[in-house]
Amino acid sequence: MKEETTPLVGWFASVVKVLLVPGMTLLASCTPQGDTARPGTKPPSAFLTVPAASPLGEMAGAAQYDASLEISNPFARDSRAVVEGRRLFVAMNCAGCHGYDAGGAMGPNLTDTAWRYGGTPGGIFQSIHSGRPQGMPAWGLALPAQDIWKIVAYLQTLGATLAPADYHAGLQGDHDVTSVAPQPRQLLETYAAAHVDAKP
Amino acid sequence: MACVVAIPLSAPAEAAESTASNQSVNGASANFAPGDPKGEWRRQAGDFANTRYSILEQIDAGNAARLKIAWTFSDGADYGHEGAPLVVGSTMYLVAPFPNVAYALDLSKPGAPIIWSYAPNPSPLAIGKACCDAVIRGWAYAEGKLIYNLLDDHTIALDARTGKEIWRTKMGNVENGETMTMPPFVIGRKVFVGNSGGELGKLGWLAALDVDSGREIWRAYSAGPDSLVKIGSDFKPFYSWMQGTDLGVSTWPVDMWKTAGGAAWGWISYDPQLNLLYYGTANPGPRVPTQRPGLNLWTSAMFARDPDTGAAKWAYSFTPHDQWDYDGVNENVLIDLPINGRQRQVLVQFNRNAYAYTIDRKTGEVLVAAPFAYQNWSSGFDLKNALPIVRPEMQPQPNVKLSHVCPPDIGGKDWQPAAFSPKTGLLYAGIFNICMDVTDHPQSYIPGTPYDGMEMTRHAAPGDHWGEFMAWDAARGKKVWAIEEKFMTMSGALATAGNVVFYGTVDGWFRAVDARNGKVLWSQKLGSGVIGAPMTYLGPDGRQYVAIYAGVGGAAMVSKSMKGFPARGNTLYVFSIDGLSPSSGAGMLTAEAGNPTAQGDAHQTGTR
Repeated sequence: MKEETTPLVGWFASVVKVLLVPGMTLLASCTPQGDTARPGTKPPSAFLTVPAASPLGEMAGAAQYDASLEISNPFARDSRAVVEGRRLFVAMNCAGCHGYDAGGAMGPNLTDTAWRYGGTPGGIFQSIHSGRPQGMPAWGLALPAQDIWKIVAYLQTLGATLAPADYHAGLQGDHDVTSVAPQPRQLLETYAAAHVDAKP
Repeated sequence: MACVVAIPLSAPAEAAESTASNQSVNGASANFAPGDPKGEWRRQAGDFANTRYSILEQIDAGNAARLKIAWTFSDGADYGHEGAPLVVGSTMYLVAPFPNVAYALDLSKPGAPIIWSYAPNPSPLAIGKACCDAVIRGWAYAEGKLIYNLLDDHTIALDARTGKEIWRTKMGNVENGETMTMPPFVIGRKVFVGNSGGELGKLGWLAALDVDSGREIWRAYSAGPDSLVKIGSDFKPFYSWMQGTDLGVSTWPVDMWKTAGGAAWGWISYDPQLNLLYYGTANPGPRVPTQRPGLNLWTSAMFARDPDTGAAKWAYSFTPHDQWDYDGVNENVLIDLPINGRQRQVLVQFNRNAYAYTIDRKTGEVLVAAPFAYQNWSSGFDLKNALPIVRPEMQPQPNVKLSHVCPPDIGGKDWQPAAFSPKTGLLYAGIFNICMDVTDHPQSYIPGTPYDGMEMTRHAAPGDHWGEFMAWDAARGKKVWAIEEKFMTMSGALATAGNVVFYGTVDGWFRAVDARNGKVLWSQKLGSGVIGAPMTYLGPDGRQYVAIYAGVGGAAMVSKSMKGFPARGNTLYVFSIDGLSPSSGAGMLTAEAGNPTAQGDAHQTGTR
């Protein structure tokens, strides 16, 4: 997908595009995760706590807010997308940096609760799409948005990502570590068994 | 707990000689040029020959047990500390790993205050492009300058008196996956530097820069046409399988030499009589061998070059078509010794492939090749052609898990440098006793990402200990003694005229050993693991000191989930007999105010 616009605008446009493609919308609404928050559908909780008399402006704790972070992944828990995401994770050399078990090597561990940039599907999409300052390459020009979402879908199966609704909880350090179950192998074997053509 | 394993020698008489006397077991000696002032440590390996031998002998086998901490210095950078301090006059020079802040410390004053420190602010992008931790492996002093490589591919020179930057030369593009970690090496008015990034498909090179201006004088690549490799009519490899035209192109599938790897991230040594410099090249890219049929010259190899022109005089590939990421970057120690009754000028390399090579450094003829660590990838060595005999079943095939390949990618010994003592004639080295299970994944070349493909887990080789510290007889190709260690022994070695050899362990022990018999004389637990190299110097107070970094990282992190693996650290420890120094003693000592530490951005100091 070639973008005519600036990368960030183009990225956001591609996110919206994905969400607006009819089949994709259906897929998104079918995800069992129940994390269907969209930009505009729900105000960030920080706004609700502002005393009415305070001038509205950038406030502590909301400085990193970005509507995209609360977007859900249209491919979350789509087993075929997860297998494809794992394939891309290896083929695009993600595994070379983050480890074949995604447990971290040159790049950060993606199976623990430490996330520099939020750890929600939208935040991970943004990291993959636009790159990050400590060497994470930007894939927005090389990969269609759907493929990036599939990689995100694979990472979501590793058990350490945050639901969009938990974005602010994550910023505040409120990770539910008990929900982290990094068992990519078993998950992948399950998915691979269902899709022998896409064995990782 | 450490224990000494006596290795039987071929004749009992030799064993007696090596354990009881002060004589060289094999008549080995070395040229310690350029002969820096006694008690200084002006270059990473102490001399051109890379012996890491000091003539200081205040600390000896009789008093080493009285070593105590004299003072310490923390630099706040938590990546792996792989270098050794330099001491020139009464000043110690240090460079921290990323973000590569440099320090000059005044050894003449209590507390060794900071004379100056300098933050060069390299690009944080480099952190994610460095294959094996954002380390620095060393720095150089020459012509009143402190010279080192930034992780983001710039070589810089600082005024050694003031810390002011004099020049900065861009050597590569970090966005494409090239980084620099190796210690520059200075001969006369030339600085020699090489790149890292073989894991990301960057073609390797070694370059010569002008010490005054940083201007590039020549650059020689590790693959490609002879013009790029700087192979001309006076290039005379000893073996026929390395003779021919443009082998750096024809031993690769079409155009693959452009992403060949063969980075030059290790050590350089120099023979002033022959006017030859020696260095090794790293693994071929991608690391999946089935993607690159051919000998893949000149990767996992070494070169002898004319330092003035860069012209290659000879080369030797240790592991042609390197199927296991064994590289050739380990240090080449230049010594002279009799072999089969004939005096030879040799270099010794303990290669990652677990063979120790004794090579005629004039001609490139391999005189001795013998395993120093457990290996099962070869069934022997064809000395006539200087080729290892590869066991075909130990070659990884795509998408098939191959178990128990020994040694693993990081080798029977990695880059951690050995030392040589002319008193015993032996070399001393920290080595590994490990294997891997490996699955190769065929790779696409995507600039700025790993061009790698090896999925690995490492485990102990037979014996269950991951490391050893050993003494090696390079004339006979025999281990003389070894001290078993729980972890990979990833520390450099230091040999001294006091017949004491020093090394550290990944779990944070620093040890002094009797060079003659491997008896551990003293151990001290440090705050982190040791992957740097010990050095020794004479302080302005006339005392002998020994210094070592505790700052685990680098390839040692492959054992990070083992019991006893320490936290990262960033402290230089300095020892003396009884811990005596101007920086320790009774009563209230104070430091004359030095300068504050230069600060890189806080976000650049994290380790993720």
